[in-house]
Amino acid sequence: MTSESSQLADLLVAAVARDIAEADIRVFAVTTPASVVAGLAARDLGARQLALAAGFTALDGLPVPAVSLGEAGLLAAGQTFRDEPSDVFALLASGRAGVIATPAQLDSRGRTNLSAVGPLGHPTVALPGARGLPDHRSPSRVWYLLSAHSPRQLVERVDVVCGAEPPPDAVRRLFTPAGCFELGAYGWFARWLTPGGAALVADTPGLGITLSGSEPLVSAPDPEALGALERVDPWHVRWIEFASGAAAAALWADAAAREAAA
Amino acid sequence: MPEYATPEAVAERIPDGALIGVGGAGLQRKPLALLRALVAAGRQELRVVSVLGSLDVELLLAAGAVGELHSAGVSLDSAGLAPHYRAAREQGSVRFYEWSEGTLLCSLEATARGVPSIPTWMARESDLPVLNGRILPGSDPFTGEPVVHVRALRLDFALLHLPDVDALGYGYVTGDLAFDGALARAADEVIVSFESEQASDPPRAALSRLWIDTLVPAAGGSWPTGCHPHHAVDAVAVATWSQAGREASVALLEPVA
Repeated sequence: MTSESSQLADLLVAAVARDIAEADIRVFAVTTPASVVAGLAARDLGARQLALAAGFTALDGLPVPAVSLGEAGLLAAGQTFRDEPSDVFALLASGRAGVIATPAQLDSRGRTNLSAVGPLGHPTVALPGARGLPDHRSPSRVWYLLSAHSPRQLVERVDVVCGAEPPPDAVRRLFTPAGCFELGAYGWFARWLTPGGAALVADTPGLGITLSGSEPLVSAPDPEALGALERVDPWHVRWIEFASGAAAAALWADAAAREAAA
Repeated sequence: MPEYATPEAVAERIPDGALIGVGGAGLQRKPLALLRALVAAGRQELRVVSVLGSLDVELLLAAGAVGELHSAGVSLDSAGLAPHYRAAREQGSVRFYEWSEGTLLCSLEATARGVPSIPTWMARESDLPVLNGRILPGSDPFTGEPVVHVRALRLDFALLHLPDVDALGYGYVTGDLAFDGALARAADEVIVSFESEQASDPPRAALSRLWIDTLVPAAGGSWPTGCHPHHAVDAVAVATWSQAGREASVALLEPVA
Protein backbone atom coordinates (compact mmCIF):
# COMPACT_ATOMS: atom_id res chain seq x y z
CA MET A 1 0.00 0.00 0.00
CA THR A 2 1.28 3.43 -0.86
CA SER A 3 1.83 5.94 1.88
CA GLU A 4 -0.49 8.24 -0.08
CA SER A 5 -3.49 5.92 0.27
CA SER A 6 -2.74 5.12 3.90
CA GLN A 7 -2.51 8.85 4.67
CA LEU A 8 -5.81 9.35 2.88
CA ALA A 9 -7.39 6.56 4.93
CA ASP A 10 -6.14 8.15 8.13
CA LEU A 11 -7.36 11.58 7.09
CA LEU A 12 -10.88 10.45 6.22
CA VAL A 13 -11.44 7.95 9.03
CA ALA A 14 -10.12 10.45 11.57
CA ALA A 15 -12.48 13.09 10.21
CA VAL A 16 -15.45 10.75 10.42
CA ALA A 17 -14.45 9.77 13.95
CA ARG A 18 -14.30 13.41 15.01
CA ASP A 19 -17.69 14.03 13.40
CA ILE A 20 -19.26 11.07 15.18
CA ALA A 21 -17.79 12.17 18.49
CA GLU A 22 -19.36 15.61 18.10
CA ALA A 23 -22.75 14.33 16.91
CA ASP A 24 -25.52 14.04 19.45
CA ILE A 25 -26.28 10.36 18.92
CA ARG A 26 -26.52 7.33 21.19
CA VAL A 27 -25.86 4.58 18.68
CA PHE A 28 -23.58 4.40 15.69
CA ALA A 29 -24.26 1.59 13.22
CA VAL A 30 -21.00 0.20 11.85
CA THR A 31 -20.91 -1.42 8.44
CA THR A 32 -17.24 -1.91 7.54
CA PRO A 33 -13.96 -2.42 9.42
CA ALA A 34 -13.03 1.24 8.82
CA SER A 35 -16.36 2.32 10.27
CA VAL A 36 -15.66 0.16 13.34
CA VAL A 37 -12.40 2.06 13.71
CA ALA A 38 -14.21 5.39 13.34
CA GLY A 39 -16.77 4.44 15.97
CA LEU A 40 -14.18 3.24 18.46
CA ALA A 41 -12.07 6.34 17.86
CA ALA A 42 -15.13 8.54 18.45
CA ARG A 43 -15.41 6.96 21.88
CA ASP A 44 -11.74 7.65 22.46
CA LEU A 45 -12.31 11.28 21.43
CA GLY A 46 -14.90 11.83 24.11
CA ALA A 47 -18.13 10.08 23.15
CA ARG A 48 -17.62 7.57 25.97
CA GLN A 49 -21.22 6.41 26.10
CA LEU A 50 -21.65 5.90 22.37
CA ALA A 51 -23.05 2.45 21.59
CA LEU A 52 -21.76 0.67 18.52
CA ALA A 53 -24.36 -1.48 16.80
CA ALA A 54 -22.94 -4.89 15.94
CA GLY A 55 -26.06 -6.32 14.33
CA PHE A 56 -29.83 -5.86 14.33
CA THR A 57 -30.28 -7.18 17.85
CA ALA A 58 -26.87 -6.29 19.29
CA LEU A 59 -26.97 -2.51 19.35
CA ASP A 60 -24.46 -2.03 22.14
CA GLY A 61 -21.52 -4.20 21.17
CA LEU A 62 -17.81 -3.79 21.69
CA PRO A 63 -16.39 -4.76 18.31
CA VAL A 64 -12.75 -4.92 17.31
CA PRO A 65 -11.42 -3.77 13.92
CA ALA A 66 -11.21 -7.03 11.99
CA VAL A 67 -11.52 -8.29 8.45
CA SER A 68 -12.01 -12.01 8.93
CA LEU A 69 -13.58 -12.53 12.34
CA GLY A 70 -17.13 -11.84 11.24
CA GLU A 71 -19.57 -12.00 14.09
CA ALA A 72 -16.78 -12.88 16.54
CA GLY A 73 -15.13 -9.56 15.73
CA LEU A 74 -18.34 -7.62 16.22
CA LEU A 75 -18.94 -9.32 19.56
CA ALA A 76 -15.39 -9.37 20.83
CA ALA A 77 -16.52 -8.43 24.32
CA GLY A 78 -19.01 -11.28 24.43
CA GLN A 79 -22.77 -11.44 24.37
CA THR A 80 -24.53 -8.10 24.59
CA PHE A 81 -27.96 -6.97 25.65
CA ARG A 82 -30.43 -8.37 23.14
CA ASP A 83 -32.45 -5.65 21.42
CA GLU A 84 -35.52 -6.08 19.24
CA PRO A 85 -34.80 -5.64 15.53
CA SER A 86 -37.41 -2.88 15.41
CA ASP A 87 -35.28 -0.91 17.89
CA VAL A 88 -32.93 0.01 15.05
CA PHE A 89 -35.72 1.77 13.21
CA ALA A 90 -37.12 3.35 16.37
CA LEU A 91 -33.71 4.84 17.11
CA LEU A 92 -33.43 6.09 13.54
CA ALA A 93 -36.88 7.68 13.72
CA SER A 94 -36.00 9.43 16.97
CA GLY A 95 -32.76 10.82 15.59
CA ARG A 96 -30.72 9.03 18.24
CA ALA A 97 -28.91 6.74 15.84
CA GLY A 98 -26.27 7.53 13.26
CA VAL A 99 -25.45 5.37 10.29
CA ILE A 100 -22.51 5.07 7.97
CA ALA A 101 -23.25 3.90 4.44
CA THR A 102 -21.47 3.17 1.18
CA PRO A 103 -24.01 3.48 -1.62
CA ALA A 104 -23.17 2.52 -5.18
CA GLN A 105 -24.61 5.85 -6.31
CA LEU A 106 -25.18 9.11 -4.43
CA ASP A 107 -26.78 12.03 -6.20
CA SER A 108 -27.05 15.80 -6.19
CA ARG A 109 -30.12 15.75 -3.90
CA GLY A 110 -28.76 13.21 -1.46
CA ARG A 111 -30.61 10.22 -2.90
CA THR A 112 -28.85 6.87 -2.77
CA ASN A 113 -28.83 3.62 -4.73
CA LEU A 114 -27.53 0.16 -3.94
CA SER A 115 -30.07 -1.75 -6.00
CA ALA A 116 -29.17 -1.64 -9.67
CA VAL A 117 -27.88 0.30 -12.64
CA GLY A 118 -30.18 0.64 -15.61
CA PRO A 119 -33.89 1.18 -16.23
CA LEU A 120 -36.13 0.86 -13.17
CA GLY A 121 -37.17 -2.78 -12.76
CA HIS A 122 -34.98 -3.92 -15.66
CA PRO A 123 -31.43 -3.74 -14.33
CA THR A 124 -28.53 -3.99 -16.70
CA VAL A 125 -26.29 -4.41 -13.66
CA ALA A 126 -27.89 -5.82 -10.53
CA LEU A 127 -26.29 -4.72 -7.26
CA PRO A 128 -26.92 -6.17 -3.78
CA GLY A 129 -30.27 -4.46 -3.17
CA ALA A 130 -31.75 -1.53 -1.30
CA ARG A 131 -30.73 -2.92 2.09
CA GLY A 132 -31.37 -0.26 4.75
CA LEU A 133 -31.02 2.80 2.55
CA PRO A 134 -34.81 3.42 2.28
CA ASP A 135 -34.98 3.34 6.08
CA HIS A 136 -32.68 6.34 6.58
CA ARG A 137 -35.28 8.96 5.69
CA SER A 138 -35.24 10.37 9.16
CA PRO A 139 -33.53 13.14 11.13
CA SER A 140 -30.76 10.71 12.00
CA ARG A 141 -27.27 11.47 10.83
CA VAL A 142 -25.87 9.56 7.90
CA TRP A 143 -22.23 9.59 6.92
CA TYR A 144 -21.06 8.42 3.52
CA LEU A 145 -17.46 7.26 3.42
CA LEU A 146 -16.22 6.51 -0.09
CA SER A 147 -12.73 5.41 -1.09
CA ALA A 148 -13.03 7.15 -4.48
CA HIS A 149 -14.49 10.42 -5.73
CA SER A 150 -15.84 8.97 -8.94
CA PRO A 151 -18.31 10.31 -11.53
CA ARG A 152 -19.75 6.79 -11.76
CA GLN A 153 -20.66 6.86 -8.08
CA LEU A 154 -21.42 10.55 -7.57
CA VAL A 155 -24.13 11.39 -10.07
CA GLU A 156 -26.82 13.93 -10.85
CA ARG A 157 -29.61 11.39 -10.38
CA VAL A 158 -29.43 7.82 -9.13
CA ASP A 159 -30.82 5.07 -11.37
CA VAL A 160 -32.94 3.60 -8.56
CA VAL A 161 -34.01 5.73 -5.61
CA CYS A 162 -33.33 3.52 -2.61
CA GLY A 163 -32.68 6.28 -0.11
CA ALA A 164 -34.98 9.25 -0.76
CA GLU A 165 -34.02 12.89 -0.59
CA PRO A 166 -33.44 13.56 3.12
CA PRO A 167 -35.73 15.87 5.09
CA PRO A 168 -34.44 19.45 5.47
CA ASP A 169 -33.30 18.98 9.06
CA ALA A 170 -31.26 15.84 8.36
CA VAL A 171 -27.48 15.99 8.41
CA ARG A 172 -25.78 14.15 5.56
CA ARG A 173 -22.01 14.31 5.23
CA LEU A 174 -19.88 12.80 2.52
CA PHE A 175 -16.20 11.95 2.94
CA THR A 176 -14.17 11.14 -0.17
CA PRO A 177 -10.58 11.57 -1.34
CA ALA A 178 -11.70 15.06 -2.44
CA GLY A 179 -12.67 16.18 1.04
CA CYS A 180 -15.72 16.57 3.22
CA PHE A 181 -19.07 17.69 1.82
CA GLU A 182 -22.45 18.40 3.35
CA LEU A 183 -25.92 18.42 1.89
CA GLY A 184 -27.54 21.81 2.37
CA ALA A 185 -30.73 23.45 1.21
CA TYR A 186 -29.21 24.12 -2.21
CA GLY A 187 -27.31 20.88 -2.65
CA TRP A 188 -23.90 19.61 -1.66
CA PHE A 189 -21.21 22.04 -0.60
CA ALA A 190 -17.60 21.55 0.46
CA ARG A 191 -16.74 21.87 4.14
CA TRP A 192 -13.08 21.31 3.35
CA LEU A 193 -11.00 19.92 0.53
CA THR A 194 -7.93 17.75 0.26
CA PRO A 195 -5.02 19.26 -1.71
CA GLY A 196 -6.17 17.52 -4.90
CA GLY A 197 -9.84 17.80 -4.05
CA ALA A 198 -10.81 20.68 -6.34
CA ALA A 199 -9.75 18.73 -9.41
CA LEU A 200 -11.71 15.69 -8.30
CA VAL A 201 -14.78 17.84 -7.72
CA ALA A 202 -14.43 19.28 -11.22
CA ASP A 203 -14.38 15.75 -12.62
CA THR A 204 -17.69 14.88 -10.97
CA PRO A 205 -20.05 17.59 -12.20
CA GLY A 206 -23.16 15.46 -11.60
CA LEU A 207 -23.04 16.05 -7.87
CA GLY A 208 -23.45 19.76 -8.53
CA ILE A 209 -20.81 21.09 -6.17
CA THR A 210 -19.70 24.64 -6.87
CA LEU A 211 -16.49 25.68 -5.19
CA SER A 212 -15.93 29.22 -3.99
CA GLY A 213 -12.18 28.89 -3.94
CA SER A 214 -12.04 29.72 -0.26
CA GLU A 215 -12.65 26.23 1.09
CA PRO A 216 -10.16 25.18 3.76
CA LEU A 217 -7.51 22.71 2.61
CA VAL A 218 -6.85 19.77 4.90
CA SER A 219 -3.94 17.47 4.15
CA ALA A 220 -3.50 15.55 7.40
CA PRO A 221 -5.67 14.42 10.30
CA ASP A 222 -5.57 16.42 13.47
CA PRO A 223 -3.03 14.82 15.83
CA GLU A 224 -5.56 14.03 18.54
CA ALA A 225 -7.83 12.14 16.14
CA LEU A 226 -4.89 10.33 14.57
CA GLY A 227 -3.76 9.29 18.03
CA ALA A 228 -7.22 7.89 18.68
CA LEU A 229 -7.04 5.88 15.46
CA GLU A 230 -3.70 4.43 16.43
CA ARG A 231 -4.94 3.48 19.87
CA VAL A 232 -8.04 1.63 18.63
CA ASP A 233 -6.49 0.26 15.43
CA PRO A 234 -2.75 -0.24 15.86
CA TRP A 235 -2.91 -2.88 13.10
CA HIS A 236 -4.13 -0.34 10.47
CA VAL A 237 -7.14 -2.38 9.44
CA ARG A 238 -8.63 0.93 8.33
CA TRP A 239 -6.15 1.16 5.45
CA ILE A 240 -7.46 -1.91 3.65
CA GLU A 241 -10.63 -0.31 2.28
CA PHE A 242 -8.60 2.47 0.72
CA ALA A 243 -6.04 0.20 -0.94
CA SER A 244 -6.62 -1.51 -4.26
CA GLY A 245 -5.45 -4.51 -6.23
CA ALA A 246 -2.50 -6.51 -4.96
CA ALA A 247 -1.81 -4.08 -2.12
CA ALA A 248 -5.32 -4.53 -0.75
CA ALA A 249 -5.08 -8.31 -1.07
CA ALA A 250 -1.76 -8.36 0.77
CA LEU A 251 -3.07 -6.16 3.59
CA TRP A 252 -6.18 -8.34 3.87
CA ALA A 253 -4.13 -11.54 4.01
CA ASP A 254 -1.84 -10.10 6.69
CA ALA A 255 -4.80 -9.01 8.79
CA ALA A 256 -6.57 -12.36 8.38
CA ALA A 257 -3.44 -14.26 9.39
CA ARG A 258 -2.96 -12.09 12.47
CA GLU A 259 -6.60 -12.53 13.48
CA ALA A 260 -6.42 -16.30 12.98
CA ALA A 261 -3.37 -16.48 15.22
CA ALA A 262 -4.90 -14.33 17.96
CA MET B 1 -42.09 -30.02 23.19
CA PRO B 2 -40.85 -29.69 19.58
CA GLU B 3 -40.46 -32.82 17.54
CA TYR B 4 -37.09 -33.86 16.13
CA ALA B 5 -36.60 -34.56 12.43
CA THR B 6 -33.93 -34.95 9.78
CA PRO B 7 -33.36 -32.44 6.97
CA GLU B 8 -34.71 -35.00 4.52
CA ALA B 9 -37.92 -35.52 6.50
CA VAL B 10 -38.40 -31.75 6.72
CA ALA B 11 -37.93 -31.39 2.98
CA GLU B 12 -40.71 -33.92 2.39
CA ARG B 13 -43.12 -31.66 4.29
CA ILE B 14 -42.35 -28.53 2.26
CA PRO B 15 -44.17 -28.58 -1.08
CA ASP B 16 -43.29 -26.94 -4.36
CA GLY B 17 -44.35 -23.30 -4.36
CA ALA B 18 -44.18 -22.94 -0.56
CA LEU B 19 -43.38 -19.50 0.87
CA ILE B 20 -40.31 -20.06 3.04
CA GLY B 21 -38.54 -17.53 5.23
CA VAL B 22 -34.82 -18.16 5.56
CA GLY B 23 -33.13 -16.99 8.74
CA GLY B 24 -29.69 -15.61 9.42
CA ALA B 25 -28.23 -12.49 7.86
CA GLY B 26 -25.53 -12.11 5.27
CA LEU B 27 -22.95 -14.84 5.79
CA GLN B 28 -24.16 -15.74 9.28
CA ARG B 29 -26.39 -18.65 10.33
CA LYS B 30 -27.91 -19.61 7.00
CA PRO B 31 -29.75 -22.97 7.31
CA LEU B 32 -27.92 -24.55 4.39
CA ALA B 33 -28.38 -28.15 5.53
CA LEU B 34 -32.14 -27.66 5.33
CA LEU B 35 -31.88 -25.89 1.98
CA ARG B 36 -29.63 -28.60 0.54
CA ALA B 37 -32.33 -31.12 1.49
CA LEU B 38 -34.92 -29.07 -0.38
CA VAL B 39 -32.67 -29.02 -3.43
CA ALA B 40 -32.06 -32.78 -3.18
CA ALA B 41 -35.81 -33.32 -2.99
CA GLY B 42 -36.17 -31.44 -6.27
CA ARG B 43 -38.33 -28.63 -4.95
CA GLN B 44 -39.37 -26.04 -7.52
CA GLU B 45 -41.05 -22.64 -7.66
CA LEU B 46 -40.25 -21.95 -4.03
CA ARG B 47 -41.17 -18.47 -2.85
CA VAL B 48 -38.20 -17.38 -0.81
CA VAL B 49 -37.92 -14.62 1.79
CA SER B 50 -34.35 -13.85 2.82
CA VAL B 51 -34.04 -10.43 4.44
CA LEU B 52 -30.28 -10.29 3.89
CA GLY B 53 -29.29 -13.21 1.72
CA SER B 54 -26.04 -14.76 0.61
CA LEU B 55 -25.31 -18.40 -0.18
CA ASP B 56 -28.83 -19.42 0.84
CA VAL B 57 -30.29 -17.55 -2.11
CA GLU B 58 -27.37 -18.52 -4.34
CA LEU B 59 -27.84 -22.25 -3.66
CA LEU B 60 -31.57 -22.20 -4.37
CA LEU B 61 -31.13 -20.11 -7.51
CA ALA B 62 -28.31 -22.31 -8.80
CA ALA B 63 -30.59 -25.33 -8.32
CA GLY B 64 -33.43 -23.70 -10.23
CA ALA B 65 -35.65 -24.03 -7.16
CA VAL B 66 -36.84 -20.40 -6.89
CA GLY B 67 -39.94 -18.90 -8.45
CA GLU B 68 -40.16 -15.76 -6.34
CA LEU B 69 -37.66 -13.91 -4.19
CA HIS B 70 -38.26 -11.32 -1.47
CA SER B 71 -35.15 -9.60 -0.12
CA ALA B 72 -33.56 -6.34 0.95
CA GLY B 73 -30.19 -7.46 -0.35
CA VAL B 74 -28.12 -10.43 -1.41
CA SER B 75 -24.34 -10.41 -1.53
CA LEU B 76 -21.25 -12.31 -0.47
CA ASP B 77 -20.09 -9.42 1.73
CA SER B 78 -16.35 -8.83 1.30
CA ALA B 79 -16.17 -11.65 -1.28
CA GLY B 80 -18.24 -9.54 -3.64
CA LEU B 81 -21.58 -9.67 -5.40
CA ALA B 82 -23.78 -12.76 -5.61
CA PRO B 83 -23.51 -14.10 -9.18
CA HIS B 84 -26.74 -16.13 -9.49
CA TYR B 85 -28.77 -13.44 -7.77
CA ARG B 86 -27.41 -10.84 -10.18
CA ALA B 87 -28.16 -13.06 -13.16
CA ALA B 88 -31.70 -13.77 -11.97
CA ARG B 89 -32.48 -10.08 -11.64
CA GLU B 90 -30.80 -9.06 -14.88
CA GLN B 91 -32.52 -11.84 -16.83
CA GLY B 92 -35.84 -11.53 -15.02
CA SER B 93 -35.87 -15.27 -14.40
CA VAL B 94 -37.57 -15.01 -11.00
CA ARG B 95 -40.27 -12.71 -9.67
CA PHE B 96 -38.23 -10.31 -7.54
CA TYR B 97 -39.74 -8.22 -4.77
CA GLU B 98 -37.27 -5.62 -3.58
CA TRP B 99 -37.67 -4.59 0.04
CA SER B 100 -35.72 -2.56 2.53
CA GLU B 101 -34.71 -4.14 5.81
CA GLY B 102 -37.26 -2.04 7.66
CA THR B 103 -40.22 -2.57 5.34
CA LEU B 104 -39.65 -6.32 5.20
CA LEU B 105 -39.60 -6.36 8.99
CA CYS B 106 -42.90 -4.42 8.93
CA SER B 107 -44.46 -7.03 6.63
CA LEU B 108 -43.52 -9.83 9.02
CA GLU B 109 -44.68 -7.86 12.05
CA ALA B 110 -48.02 -7.18 10.36
CA THR B 111 -48.56 -10.94 10.08
CA ALA B 112 -47.51 -11.47 13.67
CA ARG B 113 -49.98 -8.80 14.82
CA GLY B 114 -52.78 -10.20 12.69
CA VAL B 115 -53.30 -7.08 10.58
CA PRO B 116 -53.32 -6.87 6.77
CA SER B 117 -50.78 -4.04 6.61
CA ILE B 118 -48.70 -1.68 8.68
CA PRO B 119 -48.00 2.02 8.00
CA THR B 120 -44.44 3.27 8.21
CA TRP B 121 -42.27 6.22 7.30
CA MET B 122 -39.68 3.94 5.77
CA ALA B 123 -39.29 3.77 1.98
CA ARG B 124 -41.26 6.99 1.54
CA GLU B 125 -40.36 8.77 -1.71
CA SER B 126 -38.19 5.87 -2.77
CA ASP B 127 -38.65 3.67 -5.85
CA LEU B 128 -39.54 0.61 -3.76
CA PRO B 129 -43.30 0.97 -4.30
CA VAL B 130 -42.65 0.79 -8.05
CA LEU B 131 -40.57 -2.35 -7.63
CA ASN B 132 -42.71 -4.08 -5.03
CA GLY B 133 -46.50 -4.13 -5.16
CA ARG B 134 -46.69 -4.98 -1.48
CA ILE B 135 -45.45 -1.48 -0.58
CA LEU B 136 -48.05 1.21 -1.21
CA PRO B 137 -47.76 4.97 -0.67
CA GLY B 138 -50.73 6.47 1.16
CA SER B 139 -51.61 8.72 4.02
CA ASP B 140 -52.29 8.40 7.69
CA PRO B 141 -56.07 8.45 8.32
CA PHE B 142 -55.74 10.65 11.41
CA THR B 143 -53.23 13.28 10.35
CA GLY B 144 -53.10 12.99 6.58
CA GLU B 145 -49.33 12.65 6.81
CA PRO B 146 -47.78 10.69 3.94
CA VAL B 147 -46.93 7.15 4.95
CA VAL B 148 -46.18 3.87 3.24
CA HIS B 149 -48.45 0.88 3.82
CA VAL B 150 -46.65 -2.45 3.93
CA ARG B 151 -48.72 -5.55 3.26
CA ALA B 152 -48.44 -8.52 5.59
CA LEU B 153 -46.41 -11.48 4.37
CA ARG B 154 -47.46 -14.79 5.90
CA LEU B 155 -44.85 -17.50 5.61
CA ASP B 156 -45.66 -21.17 5.21
CA PHE B 157 -42.38 -22.13 6.84
CA ALA B 158 -39.51 -20.39 8.61
CA LEU B 159 -36.19 -22.22 8.28
CA LEU B 160 -33.64 -21.12 10.89
CA HIS B 161 -30.24 -22.30 12.04
CA LEU B 162 -29.29 -21.63 15.66
CA PRO B 163 -26.08 -22.39 17.55
CA ASP B 164 -27.77 -24.17 20.45
CA VAL B 165 -31.07 -25.47 21.74
CA ASP B 166 -31.97 -27.11 25.03
CA ALA B 167 -34.00 -30.16 25.93
CA LEU B 168 -37.09 -28.00 26.45
CA GLY B 169 -36.84 -26.64 22.94
CA TYR B 170 -35.57 -23.11 23.63
CA GLY B 171 -33.14 -21.62 21.10
CA TYR B 172 -29.91 -19.83 22.05
CA VAL B 173 -27.98 -17.34 19.94
CA THR B 174 -24.78 -15.71 21.15
CA GLY B 175 -24.52 -13.32 18.22
CA ASP B 176 -27.10 -11.33 16.30
CA LEU B 177 -30.57 -12.88 16.20
CA ALA B 178 -31.19 -10.64 13.17
CA PHE B 179 -34.74 -11.17 11.85
CA ASP B 180 -35.16 -14.76 13.01
CA GLY B 181 -37.65 -13.86 15.72
CA ALA B 182 -39.81 -11.93 13.28
CA LEU B 183 -39.66 -14.77 10.74
CA ALA B 184 -40.73 -17.27 13.39
CA ARG B 185 -43.70 -15.16 14.47
CA ALA B 186 -44.86 -14.74 10.85
CA ALA B 187 -44.67 -18.42 9.90
CA ASP B 188 -47.21 -21.23 10.10
CA GLU B 189 -44.44 -23.70 10.92
CA VAL B 190 -40.95 -23.05 12.28
CA ILE B 191 -38.12 -25.49 11.64
CA VAL B 192 -34.84 -24.95 13.46
CA SER B 193 -31.62 -26.76 12.68
CA PHE B 194 -28.96 -26.44 15.37
CA GLU B 195 -25.34 -27.16 16.16
CA SER B 196 -25.58 -28.64 19.67
CA GLU B 197 -27.69 -29.00 22.78
CA GLN B 198 -26.90 -27.02 25.89
CA ALA B 199 -28.11 -26.95 29.47
CA SER B 200 -31.48 -25.32 29.81
CA ASP B 201 -31.41 -21.61 30.76
CA PRO B 202 -34.68 -20.09 29.45
CA PRO B 203 -34.02 -16.52 30.72
CA ARG B 204 -31.03 -16.36 28.37
CA ALA B 205 -32.79 -17.93 25.40
CA ALA B 206 -33.17 -15.91 22.21
CA LEU B 207 -36.17 -17.76 20.83
CA SER B 208 -38.89 -19.29 22.95
CA ARG B 209 -39.92 -22.89 22.45
CA LEU B 210 -43.41 -21.46 21.85
CA TRP B 211 -42.31 -20.51 18.36
CA ILE B 212 -40.43 -23.65 17.42
CA ASP B 213 -42.21 -26.64 15.90
CA THR B 214 -39.41 -28.89 14.70
CA LEU B 215 -35.77 -29.28 15.71
CA VAL B 216 -33.19 -30.70 13.33
CA PRO B 217 -29.77 -31.70 14.70
CA ALA B 218 -27.27 -30.44 12.14
CA ALA B 219 -23.73 -29.76 13.35
CA GLY B 220 -22.08 -27.58 10.72
CA GLY B 221 -25.53 -27.09 9.21
CA SER B 222 -24.87 -23.49 8.24
CA TRP B 223 -21.61 -24.23 6.42
CA PRO B 224 -20.05 -22.37 4.68
CA THR B 225 -21.80 -19.48 6.43
CA GLY B 226 -20.79 -18.91 10.03
CA CYS B 227 -22.47 -19.84 13.29
CA HIS B 228 -20.92 -18.04 16.24
CA PRO B 229 -19.44 -19.40 18.47
CA HIS B 230 -19.28 -22.84 16.81
CA HIS B 231 -17.61 -21.96 13.53
CA ALA B 232 -16.66 -18.93 11.49
CA VAL B 233 -17.51 -18.24 7.87
CA ASP B 234 -15.52 -20.51 5.53
CA ALA B 235 -13.97 -17.65 3.59
CA VAL B 236 -12.29 -20.01 1.12
CA ALA B 237 -15.57 -21.68 0.18
CA VAL B 238 -17.28 -18.31 -0.21
CA ALA B 239 -14.44 -17.02 -2.37
CA THR B 240 -14.57 -20.18 -4.49
CA TRP B 241 -18.25 -19.61 -5.15
CA SER B 242 -17.62 -15.97 -5.98
CA GLN B 243 -14.80 -16.79 -8.38
CA ALA B 244 -16.91 -19.41 -10.17
CA GLY B 245 -19.38 -16.65 -10.95
CA ARG B 246 -22.47 -17.63 -12.87
CA GLU B 247 -20.97 -21.09 -13.44
CA ALA B 248 -21.06 -21.83 -9.69
CA SER B 249 -23.01 -25.05 -9.18
CA VAL B 250 -24.70 -26.62 -6.16
CA ALA B 251 -21.88 -29.17 -5.93
CA LEU B 252 -19.63 -26.39 -4.61
CA LEU B 253 -21.87 -26.14 -1.57
CA GLU B 254 -21.77 -29.83 -0.71
CA PRO B 255 -19.78 -30.28 2.51
CA VAL B 256 -16.70 -32.44 2.16
CA ALA B 257 -16.70 -35.19 4.75
